[in-house]
Amino acid sequence: MTALLSIRDLSVAYRRDGREVAALKNINLDIASGERLAIIGESGSGKSTLALAIAGLLPASARIGGRIDWQMSEFRSPHQPSCLRKTPLSGRDIGFVFQDPSASLDPVMPIGKQIAEVARTHLGLGWPQAYARARTLLERVRLPDPGTALRTFPHQLSGGQKQRVAIAAAIAAGPKLLIADEATSALDTIVQAEIVSLIRQLVSEDGMTLLFVSHDIALAAELAERIAVFRHGELVEIGATAEIVNAPRHAYTRALLDAHIGLDAEPMLRRAGASA
Amino acid sequence: MNSPLLTVSGLAKRYRRGGKTIAAVDDVSFAIEPGETLALAGPSGSGKSTIARLVLRLIEPDAGRIQFEGDDFLALSGSALRARRARLQMVFQDPLAAFNPRATVARLLDDPLRIHGIASRAERPRRIAALLERVGLNADLAPRAIHEISGGQRQRIAIARAIATNPSLIVLDEAVSALDVSVRGDILNLLLDLQAKERIAYLFISHDLGVVRAIAHRVVILDAGRIAESGDARAVIGAPQSAIGKALVMATPKLHRTTAS
Ligand SMILES: Nc1ncnc2c1ncn2[C@@H]1O[C@H](COP(=O)(O)OP(=O)(O)OP(=O)(O)O)[C@@H](O)[C@H]1O
Ligand SMILES: Nc1ncnc2c1ncn2[C@@H]1O[C@H](COP(=O)(O)OP(=O)(O)OP(=O)(O)O)[C@@H](O)[C@H]1O
Ligand SMILES: [Mg+2]
Ligand SMILES: [Mg+2]
Repeated sequence: MTALLSIRDLSVAYRRDGREVAALKNINLDIASGERLAIIGESGSGKSTLALAIAGLLPASARIGGRIDWQMSEFRSPHQPSCLRKTPLSGRDIGFVFQDPSASLDPVMPIGKQIAEVARTHLGLGWPQAYARARTLLERVRLPDPGTALRTFPHQLSGGQKQRVAIAAAIAAGPKLLIADEATSALDTIVQAEIVSLIRQLVSEDGMTLLFVSHDIALAAELAERIAVFRHGELVEIGATAEIVNAPRHAYTRALLDAHIGLDAEPMLRRAGASA
Repeated sequence: MNSPLLTVSGLAKRYRRGGKTIAAVDDVSFAIEPGETLALAGPSGSGKSTIARLVLRLIEPDAGRIQFEGDDFLALSGSALRARRARLQMVFQDPLAAFNPRATVARLLDDPLRIHGIASRAERPRRIAALLERVGLNADLAPRAIHEISGGQRQRIAIARAIATNPSLIVLDEAVSALDVSVRGDILNLLLDLQAKERIAYLFISHDLGVVRAIAHRVVILDAGRIAESGDARAVIGAPQSAIGKALVMATPKLHRTTAS
């Protein structure tokens, strides 16, 4: 198992109302090449901050301490293949899918052009090849009628279809790492299951590493090989999914597991002498 | 058998969108008994929120009847409608989002007491303290601004606001969906306690079948505006008969724990 990246003593603080708010505190974490790692925790625990830090997308106002070391020897450079970079580039080496696909899609540009542009910018393709790639990608994310879909605008698509397009754009440049931050949280259960299975398939076909951020421990357990539990900006524990689910070491992880209300949960309802 | 608290029959609502007509709600009928929880489940766009809005008379149906507490609810108007509205309350996903974040908790709870003439000005502070206590909050939260309290506390305030007028039915549209799991259980228990003590009925809308199964007596599963199936919540979710019911159960993430908790 080779590490894709090593996070060492990573701390992130935001400035808010003149105060500093610690969002991540001394995080140490290795992400293995090709693994599916889930980041779970409650609202405000620092999940998105970690995802943004890895992608190099934190706002300039954030104060960052510690290091993120990429163990890859090199990153491709689109226009000069001989020139290899030491740091990854978001959009090319890292694909990012957000909760709200509308936030990452341009409302006034046809979706085919948006995906083709990623391929052009990062792979140095000409427009015809970039469009051909966009079409293939729309097929891969199983958008109905990909040829016509190239010319549609985001508002003409359902939430689930928009998220498929956002995924197509995120993987257009063939990234090593795909980060999905609550990418299915705004979707209904059935569409969520479809998108999760799509992500699983794409990641395995392309040999990508997956960082899957979610507040849903059951969903994380279905998709990920390892789970990292965050709370108040700290890494509470990390382990293989079966370990975290069946033998959590930390009381907080146990509390999260116990709070899950699955289809086999004990009913909470006491029949209150009411209905028949 | 009791007469139902709410009876909805043949309810229909159409919308026009981009030249096409969408049957958002299509021939929907169900009843809720006093003190009962009926859940509405179904995929996005299946008509759950539209039914909630119709029942609350925030929008008017194209067809159908709504009987509430023995009256033709759609025929009520003026003061009779206002009086009956006090008995039918609502809690939404982020119910306090519409308010000025600087508004205080006391102010939010004062409104329904004043508007529905439930307590005199002098009596209201005591009523507010009692309401906070009924939803498990400390009375010293009253002077706080809503932006100064947590998400779970906000949802308790929304519930306090809803029960201020002694409703017989509360419509909850994804009311616990945005909450962290650690507070979600507490809010669900609060709702169940209030139901047991005060015999409030709930129309509980959720996309989460686990939660529906845990707290609802019966469930109606919707698909494209129509009822796909309905029945005892645990029976339906345990062995769905409709294609959409099966798909919803299949798609629900499952946590396979081998050790007992
Ligand atoms: N741009 C920002 N400026 C100031 N504070 C921020 C900013 N982004 C996040 N924070 C704060 O940092 C902390 C961690 O936030 P983060 O968004 O990483 O949490 P999260 O685990 O992703 O939560 P959620 O589940 O709600 O998405 C929180 O206290 C949050 O309020
Ligand atoms: N004001 C409106 N104008 C046009 N169409 C509408 C309007 N309100 C709802 N619809 C449509 O009616 C259908 C039912 O929508 P509704 O909001 O009731 O679904 P829902 O089951 O609550 O979905 P969700 O789980 O996403 O909240 C959808 O096709 C929706 O687009
Ligand atoms: Mg987040
Ligand atoms: Mg809705």
